[in-house]
Amino acid sequence: MTEFNRRAFLAATAATAATAATTVGRTPALALGPDVTAGNDPNPYFRHGVASGDPLPDRVILWTRVTPSADLGPGVGNGPSVSGRWQIATDRTFDRVVDSGRFTTSPVRDYTVKVDASGLQPSTGYYYRFVFNGVPSRIGRTCTAPDRFASPHNLRFGVVSCSNLQAGYFSPYRHLAARDDLDAIVHLGDYLYEYGPGRYGYGHSNTDIRSHVPAHEMVSLRDYRQRHAQYKQDPDLQRLHAKLPFIATWDDHESTNDAYRRGAENHQPDTEGDWQHRKWRAHRAYDEWMPTRMSDTAKLGDGDRLYRSLRFGTLANLSMLDLRSYRSKQVEQSELSEVDNPNRSITGDPQMVWLKDQLLTPKVQWKIVGNPVMIAPVVFPPLPNDLTAAVNDVTGLLPPDGVPYNVDQWDGYTADRHELFSHIANHGLQNTVFLTGDIHSAWACDLPRDAGRYPATKTVGTEFVCTSVTSNNLDDITNSPPRTTSIAIEEGIKASNRHVKYLNFDDHGYSVVDISSARLQMDYYKISDRADRNATSEWTQSWATAADTQRVHRVEGPVA
Amino acid sequence: MSAPTPPSQVSRRRFLQLTAASGAAVVVSAAPGAPLAAAAGNRKKRAYVVVVDGCRPDEVTRELMPRLHSLRSHGMNFPNARALPIFETLPNHAMMMTGVHPNHTGVPANSIYDRDAKAIRDLDRQSDLRFPTLLQRLQSVGYTTGSVLSKEYLYGLFGTRATYRWEPSPVVPVSGHAPDEATMDATIAMIDNVDPNFIFVSLGDCDRVGHSDVTGTTVQASRRAALKTADQQVGRLVTHLRETGRWANSVLMVLADHSMDWSNPDRIVSLQPHFENDPLLAGNVIIAQNGGADLLYWTGADTRRRAAVTRMREIALAVEGVHEVWDPDYLRLGTRAGDVVAYCQAGWRFSDPRPVSNPIPGNHGHPATRVIPFFIAGGSPLVQHGTSYSRSVHTLDVAPTIGRVFGLPAPRGGYEGVSRL
Repeated sequence: MTEFNRRAFLAATAATAATAATTVGRTPALALGPDVTAGNDPNPYFRHGVASGDPLPDRVILWTRVTPSADLGPGVGNGPSVSGRWQIATDRTFDRVVDSGRFTTSPVRDYTVKVDASGLQPSTGYYYRFVFNGVPSRIGRTCTAPDRFASPHNLRFGVVSCSNLQAGYFSPYRHLAARDDLDAIVHLGDYLYEYGPGRYGYGHSNTDIRSHVPAHEMVSLRDYRQRHAQYKQDPDLQRLHAKLPFIATWDDHESTNDAYRRGAENHQPDTEGDWQHRKWRAHRAYDEWMPTRMSDTAKLGDGDRLYRSLRFGTLANLSMLDLRSYRSKQVEQSELSEVDNPNRSITGDPQMVWLKDQLLTPKVQWKIVGNPVMIAPVVFPPLPNDLTAAVNDVTGLLPPDGVPYNVDQWDGYTADRHELFSHIANHGLQNTVFLTGDIHSAWACDLPRDAGRYPATKTVGTEFVCTSVTSNNLDDITNSPPRTTSIAIEEGIKASNRHVKYLNFDDHGYSVVDISSARLQMDYYKISDRADRNATSEWTQSWATAADTQRVHRVEGPVA
Repeated sequence: MSAPTPPSQVSRRRFLQLTAASGAAVVVSAAPGAPLAAAAGNRKKRAYVVVVDGCRPDEVTRELMPRLHSLRSHGMNFPNARALPIFETLPNHAMMMTGVHPNHTGVPANSIYDRDAKAIRDLDRQSDLRFPTLLQRLQSVGYTTGSVLSKEYLYGLFGTRATYRWEPSPVVPVSGHAPDEATMDATIAMIDNVDPNFIFVSLGDCDRVGHSDVTGTTVQASRRAALKTADQQVGRLVTHLRETGRWANSVLMVLADHSMDWSNPDRIVSLQPHFENDPLLAGNVIIAQNGGADLLYWTGADTRRRAAVTRMREIALAVEGVHEVWDPDYLRLGTRAGDVVAYCQAGWRFSDPRPVSNPIPGNHGHPATRVIPFFIAGGSPLVQHGTSYSRSVHTLDVAPTIGRVFGLPAPRGGYEGVSRL
């Protein structure tokens, strides 16, 4: 047992003994204490729960929203400024408060509170709370990252994406919150959806299991705030936020569908106004409502750079990407030859420079990229037209004429991919792993530098794609029972793309990624039915990449 | 296995003729005053460093190299391991045995331009290595050492530093190295006959098949065969140590000095013609080509060196296939590395001074070839079995790690590597 692990283990064990709480299985590497976050928060001042995020060795973001009175709900727009206090302690009874402070919030920031609690110890578990009018919020549990040069034995993150409230209940969040072995949650985007009721719901009929608030597509700042507030009141998400720090990035639906730098597929300037204004509103609401550090601070209005890195000692560096704010417009189906135009970019130049620099971090073994859209090349086999349309509906992957590109992911920006893959190869970088969301399906892939020559070509890394929490996938579109129609498509895709080793188009759920020096393993879980508030969870498959191999392989069971 | 046999012959020049397992004679030279027979007992400390020259970490698989894979899985594995510039054989072997960078060892690359001799040459002379090595320093505290190095230029560089040294034989004419089987024969014979506390072994087959096949058509098959051979030979060593009771007190480090990259004939960079077309540089730049790296030397007037270096960098970076250029001081290479270091991209190679100068497809020297396997096995209590470590390690770490086994103090000025035990 390493010194780091021993300290973490002892700290957690002592805390557990003191509170008679029980933990099962692995103790979180980041020394999270026992869970005290169960149950909903009845406190009327803190209806949206508490959250933490972006843990660094000496600081972590703490978040809440205050509802000073019933008439000052989300998006209210005017009202008095109010003040309160926040505390962070090493014990759940707050006898050992290590930092505290006063906050002031107002309608200017929709009564949200975001604190970058600093001066903390690395690899340490903390409890935090907010106090307003003498009434404390529920207690949140969080932790700091290891010291830059510590060597944690392993890290374990829940991995999620694509959580559409209208499409079902967030049971994946509930099942993740029920685990006591996680260090953090990595959310890879589409944390919320922009649509109004009746659009993009559950299954083939798009039935709303729950209806969005406000009852129309979110466009105004008030809309975005109210939609965030609605999601933050979901009990499963609220509990998960309270229990674990989030490391989140956005994809398109945090603003609107298929967003790019100067517009979006689901943005109509004639009726919805200027895109830049709408994008600003989406980003502003995200900054207010999410426990993320934008432009490296917890402040509002000082920039909306979301791409950032979080280092976990020598074991892993997690680079979270923003692949919507700077990208060129997706090419039309009629101009697919443009996908490799070097003047087009999915990252934008500054982010590409930054990402390449992050991958060069020499002291860290695993270079993990939080990647909102898929980077593995995907070339499709010929499929019947009806199936092609169905696959397109959920993934947008299949041009009707069979040209093998999905122009909304890295396949539509191949010059950027080539630049990144060349960078990895030229520098002899090992152990680069992309954790990806977006396409409502589960994948495990090798990343060949030249896909046409795979497997007789070097691979530059691996990619693990988590499926959607609730958003529709292929069997919903084809209106087929799970694991029927999709299987033939999956096998066809794998046959034409031999670097794709695992593909499941049907399941909804979540993943757990476990990172140790010896290997990185992704466990895939599915839930029974999104429409069931009490949906069960079941392990489906596990895939891993052993250190230094740049290849994925199947594993017989999930991590213990 | 071969039974320990006493030296059958000692010449006046202190050459020992040993008997290998195959029955072949193995000739080892010995330092003056060195014991000519194995010290008794299996409780003494032993350490072995085996370099599988040019091996990539992803080649150590259960299918291809099952013995190394098992040793790595059950020993201490360091997946975040790298060779250091220049990613070549001589500089990284020198760093392993000294624990310091080339600006101290004097060995920045395989091939340099010797300004005094006004000639490009390999750093294959004993006098080229200017820093005390483990092979000598362990002797100074009462231990015996051995060197069993398959390549002629490695033997030349380390020379007579070890207590016992094997001169590679038989040597393959084109490659200048002894086959792995012969190298391991010598290693085992040395263990059986004089049993040094520490032996530095370098196996050259994996590297040399990449270099030897100028057509590239048999590279993959030859490479796989060489990897399997190296695996078998390391397996022989381990089996022998186990069967002779030595394993329980042994530390075995296995690593590579660099990995390997392959290029097609159309992916060749020749910088010399570009320099000859430049008014400032023409006739005033010498290139020491090291496969994936070119060392560029300004030979004109010192007063124009700064301008020339700037120009060399500009021109080199504009040539397709060039990845990066570096200041040798920044890379801690010392003055022998010239004025500019140029690296090629993955899948390319340098060929200077002429496009036909380097016909071989397998090359190293550039950053694409910096990743290496690096693990520690053995029965010694110092070895933590079944562990893997995320911290970054380098060839520099070998000397302090072996030094730790024997309680050897750091050299004057200290190590630049770190013990991994």
